[in-house]
This record gives sequence, structure tokens and C-alpha cells, in this order.
Amino acid sequence: MKPVRAIQAFALLLAPTALSLAALAQPRPGLPAFRVIVHPSNPVASVDRKFLADAFFKKTTRWSHDEVIRPVDQRSDSAARNRFSEEVLRRSVDAVRNYWQQIIFTGRDVPPPELDSDEEVVKYVLKHHGALGYVSGGANLNGAKVVTVQ
Amino acid sequence: MTPGTLPRLHIAALCALAFQAPAGALELSLIGEPIQVHGFASQGFIKTTDNNYLAESKRGSFEFTEVGLNFTKALTDKLRLGVQLFARRLGPLDGFDAKFDWFYLDYHWADWLGVRAGRVKLPFGLYNDINDIDSARVPILLPQSIYPTSNRDFLLAQTGGEIYGRVSLSLAGALEYRAYAGTIFLPSTTPPNSPYQLGKLNAPYVVGGRILWETPLEGLRVGGSLQALRLDADFFFNQSIYGPLQMAGGLPPDFTGKVSAKIPAILWVGSAEYSAGALLLAAEYSRWYVQVTSSQPILFPNISTMVSERFYGMLTYRVKQWLYPGLYYAGYYTNVGNRSGRDNMQHDVAATLRFDINEYWLLKLEGHFMHGTAALDSSLNDGRRLSDLATNWGVLLVKTTAYF
Repeated sequence: MKPVRAIQAFALLLAPTALSLAALAQPRPGLPAFRVIVHPSNPVASVDRKFLADAFFKKTTRWSHDEVIRPVDQRSDSAARNRFSEEVLRRSVDAVRNYWQQIIFTGRDVPPPELDSDEEVVKYVLKHHGALGYVSGGANLNGAKVVTVQ
Repeated sequence: MTPGTLPRLHIAALCALAFQAPAGALELSLIGEPIQVHGFASQGFIKTTDNNYLAESKRGSFEFTEVGLNFTKALTDKLRLGVQLFARRLGPLDGFDAKFDWFYLDYHWADWLGVRAGRVKLPFGLYNDINDIDSARVPILLPQSIYPTSNRDFLLAQTGGEIYGRVSLSLAGALEYRAYAGTIFLPSTTPPNSPYQLGKLNAPYVVGGRILWETPLEGLRVGGSLQALRLDADFFFNQSIYGPLQMAGGLPPDFTGKVSAKIPAILWVGSAEYSAGALLLAAEYSRWYVQVTSSQPILFPNISTMVSERFYGMLTYRVKQWLYPGLYYAGYYTNVGNRSGRDNMQHDVAATLRFDINEYWLLKLEGHFMHGTAALDSSLNDGRRLSDLATNWGVLLVKTTAYF
């Protein structure tokens, strides 16, 4: 195989990765990159960043009022997911995926569900009392409660 | 057939089932929460410049295949069950029999206390429980001084119970602990070219635990693991071996070739890991104390207490979303009382490139420079003594893994 064709073949193999990178759109000016949301009945108004990270890694599994925390993630190529990972989890999406590979294949737990859009995350949060999710800054919350991150 | 071993499953069927899922976890919705299904399949190649290592590697070997498929179901918010089927071929070590790698019932009472019962992976060091999960790490072979692939049956999982939990220390971070007790079901396979046949091989107990401190410096965790176990084995020697000794009076006249041995061992490891952004640094230091008490020391010698020393330092870095280079140095001395001689030590310098082709497929290339022969197996090298094998040798590994 000629070198140019080998590079083309290699580029095709990497296409899904390149597409994922292309999907990292920037948030609209004036809007936050993401907002953290919970069920409207949840009494919590603000959460500590570390608590949020532990909840998404399922190291902390209950709210202070003893409700089970049900974290919900977005697709790995969503802009909100990337910003949430970097700023709250302090790890890249890939590093988070590697973390879950370790947990899954040692049988300790399974990762939060990954939903396809802000709308699906809002629906999930409105359906589950203990839900904890995040959506992009301009998403329609439809009654979901925004909590501040300290 | 050992406990946990299924009658031979057709591996192609296992693979076909595993890769029906196009992306992410496969979810089978039955009653309540869906069953989560995850799986992986790996194929590797190993080639050494000298000495056979793990397989017939001098001529190059593709006998380096792993397939796993797991099912997890949350029965309630606190109760979960899971099972993983696993099959491996690695030289003469495994014959591709599908086994229940782990299975458990997990009751998560609170974050600080949970209980698991079943066959549970052993928490030993930072990475023992991911020793066979290629997608969860950068190197193809974890540092073999502490995570020897050839000891997988002894070190990977135990059947019994475990308590676990995580305790927040507020500003001081958090403590994660696991403590277990049970047994290990071992295959009583006689190595080729052995002077004896292995009869029973039991582990009456394995107990231990691990504690990891997540320090206030985010990404830094340090900890220690301790494990104690005992192996009881019966060996049957051929009369051609024990006959002359018996004639010379070294063995009792009624001796019929059976030798029983008790092999207690204590293993500990100290661990430190730091991950920040794309960087991961890890270092571990370990000592293993092994004793042998034999019913006939003239045939199977007693060992008062032999202390081996094991350590490594490792660095990995994510250069691109799809490229992770890694580097480690690992050292192993079979006996801290005698650090000289090629057969008493093995130094391993390894470099890896991991390419994440996409979210479900990766490729790794790895090279090792080895100095010493202590971790080699005579039976893979025509029965030659380790002191007669090449001191300096190299290993090239290529491995690809698909997973979901």
C-alpha cells in the first residue's frame, strides 16, 4: 500500500474521533456553557462542585435528604458534556470513560445513562425525584430546577 | 473442570452475542431497571528476541486472546447482581474455556458500608482488578512484577464475601476501603516437564483488604493492600525419581510417592497515584513472603520464609484524544537476601502507544527491554534452568481490543 493510501485508510479509521471533535461547538455568548438541574421537588438550592463530581462518579449516592441520587449524562460529543467534564469532574470525557471501563468490568457499578439531547435530560429529571443532570445554557428547562455550583 | 468453569462454550457464539450491540451498553429491558450488558474482545501478538515468555513467543505467537461479556442488574436502589463470562488463551496458561470471571450480589447499604457476596475481584494494589481489562489502561502488560499475568488464577478473584465503603473526611479528602475473606478455586494443572503430577490444590483461606486515601490534592491517592492466603497441595512423584532416594534411606520404606505441602503467603503493596489533566503517574512497592512446609523435604524442599521484592514507576500522558503514550520501569527480585544472578531478578523497561481508533476500538503497540530471567517459566523454555536463559532480551506486543 502506498504511503498516501495508508494515511487515507488511517484517516478513515479515525473519522469517528474527528467527528466528535468537530461537534464541540462553543456556547452562545452571554449564556453559561451548562446549567445543573434537579427535580423541582428537590430542596437543594446549591451544591458543592466536589459533591457533584462524586455524585457523577457514583461515589456519593444519596442527597442530604436521603433521596437516591440519579445522575444523568449527555452524549460524549455534546458541548455541555465536555465543559461539564472539564469544569466539574476535572477530567476529560475520555478519562471519565476510562474510569467507567474500570468500574464496569470489575462489576462494581454502571455509568449514568447517556441521553441524546437537553430535552431528554430535562424529561428524565422531571420524571425522577432524585435526578441530577446538566443541560446547555440555552436549554428549555420546562420546570426543572436549576442549582448553583459552588 | 474447575469450579467456575463452564463446559466449553463456542467462543464465536460469545463474540457474536457481544457485538450485536452497535454502540454503548446493550440494555435488555425485562422487569424494572434494564439489564446492562457490556463486553470486550481482544487479540494480541507477542514476539520475543530470546526466551519464551507467556507463550511460544520466540517464534511469535497469536495465542493471546481474551473475550468477556458481563451482565449487571439493579434489583433495587441498594441491591444489585452481576456476572461476567470470560475466556482467554495465553500460551499454555489458559485453554479458552469460558469461566464465570466474577459474579456477585451487592447490597449497598450506605456510601460508607456495602456488602458483596460471590466471586469478587481482589483489590490488591491500584490495578489488580483491571488486570484483564485492556480498555481501562494504557499498557498491554501491567508491570508484571506486581501484576503477573501468569498468576491470574491466584490473584484475580476470590469466592466469599467482601465489605466495602467510602468515608468522607471532609477537608482531608476521603477514605475508600475494601476487606474480604474467602477462598480461591484453582485448576490443578501440572506444568509440562515437571518431575511430579499435581494432585489436589486448595486454598483454605484468602483474607485481606485495601485502603486508599483520596487526598485533598485532587487526583492524588495513596494507599496500601494486604493479603494472606495458604495453598495446600499434593504432589505425586514417579518411582524413577523417589526410588533411588528410598533405596539410599532418604525416604521411609512405605513411601509411595505422595508429598503434601502447605504454602502460606503474605503479600503487601504500598501504592500512590496522581492524575491531573492528561497526565497519570503511578508507583507501587511490594513484598511477598512465602513459606513452604513439605511432608518430604528431600523431594519438595522446605522454605523457611522467602521474601520477594517488587516495584514499578509508571507514566502515561494523553497527547491527543486518540493517542496515549506510556512508559514504565518495573523491578523484581525473587529473594531480597540474594539480589545477584540473572535468575534472581528481572528488570523491565516498557514503552506503549495506545491508539483509540474510536470509542469502541483501540490498538496498542508495546516494547519491553528485559534484564534478568526471574519471571520466566522453565517449562516454556524446554525445561532449561532460568540461569541458563538469555539475560538481556526484548518483547514486542501488539494488541487490539473492541469493547462496548
